[in-house]
Amino acid sequence: MGGYIVRRSLLSIPLLLVISFLTFALSHLSPLDPAEAVLQAQGVPRITEELIAATKAELGMDRPFLVRYADWLVSSLKLDFGSSYVTGKPVWSLLGPAFANTLKLTLISVVAIIVMSIALGVLCALREGKWTDKSVRGVSFLLTAMPSYWLAALLIWYFSVKLDWLPTSGMDSYLSYVLPVIVLTINYAGIYFRVVRSSMLSQLNEDYVLYGRACGLPERNITMRLLRNSMQVAVSVFGMAIPILLGSTVVVENVFAWPGLGTLTVNAILGRDFPIIQAYVLILAAAFVLFNTVSDVINAALNPKLRKEL
Amino acid sequence: MSKTWSTGLIAFIVSIVVLAGCSSGGKEGTGGASDSGGGADPVQELVYASAKDINDMNPHLYPGSMPAQGIVYESLVENTKDGIRPLLAESWDISEDGTVYTFHLRKDVTFHDGEPFNAEAVKLNIEAVLRNAEKHTWIKLSAKIKEVTAAGEHTVELKLTEPYYPALVEMSMTRPFVFISPKDFIGGETKDGVSGYHGTGPYKLAEHKTEQYAVFEANEHYWGGAPKIRKITSKVLPAGETTYLALQKGEVNFVFTDDRGADSIDVEAMNQLASSGKYQVVRSEPMNTKMIVANSSRADSPVSETAVREAIWHAVDRETISKSIFSGTETAAETLFSSNVNYADVKLEHRSYDLDAARKLLEDAGWSLESGEVRTKAGSPLSMKLYYDVNSSSQKTQAELIQSTVKKIGMQLELIGEESSSIANRRSTGDYDLLFNQTWGLAYDPQSTIAAFASETSYYHTTSGIARAEELYRKIDEVMVSRDEASRQALYADILTIVHEEAVFIPLTNGSVTVVAPAGLQGIAFKQTQFELPFERMYFE
Repeated sequence: MGGYIVRRSLLSIPLLLVISFLTFALSHLSPLDPAEAVLQAQGVPRITEELIAATKAELGMDRPFLVRYADWLVSSLKLDFGSSYVTGKPVWSLLGPAFANTLKLTLISVVAIIVMSIALGVLCALREGKWTDKSVRGVSFLLTAMPSYWLAALLIWYFSVKLDWLPTSGMDSYLSYVLPVIVLTINYAGIYFRVVRSSMLSQLNEDYVLYGRACGLPERNITMRLLRNSMQVAVSVFGMAIPILLGSTVVVENVFAWPGLGTLTVNAILGRDFPIIQAYVLILAAAFVLFNTVSDVINAALNPKLRKEL
Repeated sequence: MSKTWSTGLIAFIVSIVVLAGCSSGGKEGTGGASDSGGGADPVQELVYASAKDINDMNPHLYPGSMPAQGIVYESLVENTKDGIRPLLAESWDISEDGTVYTFHLRKDVTFHDGEPFNAEAVKLNIEAVLRNAEKHTWIKLSAKIKEVTAAGEHTVELKLTEPYYPALVEMSMTRPFVFISPKDFIGGETKDGVSGYHGTGPYKLAEHKTEQYAVFEANEHYWGGAPKIRKITSKVLPAGETTYLALQKGEVNFVFTDDRGADSIDVEAMNQLASSGKYQVVRSEPMNTKMIVANSSRADSPVSETAVREAIWHAVDRETISKSIFSGTETAAETLFSSNVNYADVKLEHRSYDLDAARKLLEDAGWSLESGEVRTKAGSPLSMKLYYDVNSSSQKTQAELIQSTVKKIGMQLELIGEESSSIANRRSTGDYDLLFNQTWGLAYDPQSTIAAFASETSYYHTTSGIARAEELYRKIDEVMVSRDEASRQALYADILTIVHEEAVFIPLTNGSVTVVAPAGLQGIAFKQTQFELPFERMYFE
């Protein structure tokens, strides 16, 4: 098992290298002069050729592309992502708190999503074709189809303005989490519970279920076994939910004025703030690779057959 | 069995609701802007919604929020409706030849950190700005100051290299010629950041949580008397829908037009808030002109032809835009600057909403309608792209209206919504046919907007394609150093006539600053600039 984890982790290193190089290259393909974009993001009202040249020299943009990439790679290996072009502050001082805020929101949402997906998935599988199954699927279909900004506005109107229970936005207390978590849960649980449901259903027809029932095993035991066996697919899906959510909370963050990664990176992209973009992409890519690895490892633990493949 | 699951599910939902319900008693206010419904104890604070964080408050650089900088820092003089008035300088003298300005400073002013505001502080600040001159080229004065000397404890002399008539106007602007405590300088400089944000203004920055909120507290020792509104909070709310709901709930109680000229909530939402009785809506006089900017230098596009631009001008139904889109809150604009702008009261040919005139112009210019709905000339269609700011609620509607009217004269407009920074990029690279824009506002017009005609990153692409571009740029250079009023007036008239005849700036409406404030708030006023508000003059009854 240990060997498997090591092999699986080593595989991710070249992947991260390729990703970092690609972002570096892609972000330099933009038609707009990056120095000019930086000056615009700083709000400088009149940008002259001399100023652009001076800014380039100051930020080291006048050096060859590969030299800059090598430099960046070496310092980021030491976890030094440099300073923001626009504000001059260290990247970590900007990205760190924003990342922490988004991560908090993501983790709580993922827990809610997993709980809801398993609960609904199992419920629907056991009641397949019945009224409960149909109505849960129907309602979730409707809710998932709603644009999240609209759903969010609706919930804010009802729970914050009308009932006056919750704050409309911001991140002031634990109550601030309730609405964003509900919106994210509705958006994702509505999709993920189908995965649980269908893998449960495919297991229901297996011989061991019939055998278990024939032997008179309590229905609760059979369900637990069913759940364990159908988790394999679900684990991969849930494993990826964290990085996917990390990278896609932009809309929800915008509506709820959540001081997370969304706002920061959108501004960084518009202002060509390369140090922030690079660090963001690397962190997200690392998160994807990490959670992919973790879910593979969990699956390998659940199913010894998978361990030999690598 | 299945009962267990459904029970669990119900328990989960109930727990969420209960969790939420428990706390309904304790109001988790953000800034404490409680609703004004109680009426017993009027709140002495304002919480305003802002789409962006206040950002770096260093007044000698540009990323900071102007409304926030405007209440923390002050300039020597103030630009008002009645001209230049004293602020930190009590009075001033200008030498005969117009090159030496002597300012007599107020004696009762201290910075927020207790440091005295004196001639030395003024000298240090201005010199720090000048050492970073390449970032301030938009303000021509920055290249014309030869020397700043402290002629006494409270007397400062500013020597210019040549007479420059907008000197006092430029000294009055929100940045960069405003004053921060010299103790906040880092290594004697401000260009690479400052260690604190202590100005002389009516409010002090008390707390700042990046991308969340900033709190400003009244400056008890303000030379003009401590302001009555004790606390102002700037709360970051990027989405307009949330702003509207937060206003209804009372989490924020103040919004105003932002520095892009966009309102976070639309006219209808404002009227709804006003009719609830909790809020009032106050509008300033016209401050700026909203317009469509045409790229005259784009040779491969029909927009490079004067006749096409004139035809668009004729095809814009400004009355309908004013009445239907802005509910009369903005008035139709017929020229680039309204006549109340300095030097802009110039006689210019009136181009009314007249589709026949537009058709004739196109016909005469060789754009003929042979088949289909779009005119062609030498095989190429009369088709252009119009870019608008996706975050502006009104620009898209206006664009759609204009698109439908120009269709009637055989012109095709493709509408593309983008982020404001992306539109700014297009303006500076010249990668556009038409885009929405606005003039800089009363305090900056006409001189700053006109100086931007020749600037690479502003309107250079707009103006450089016209026949008389060289003449235009020469006159812009001349007007800034002109010394007598008559020749200045003549030069501005020429400049405005050239851009009007070429129809490169197609006016739409005259915009104003809108404030939505608690119903009981008095003393709501405006400044000449469209970016700051005089919060220190406001109070609750």
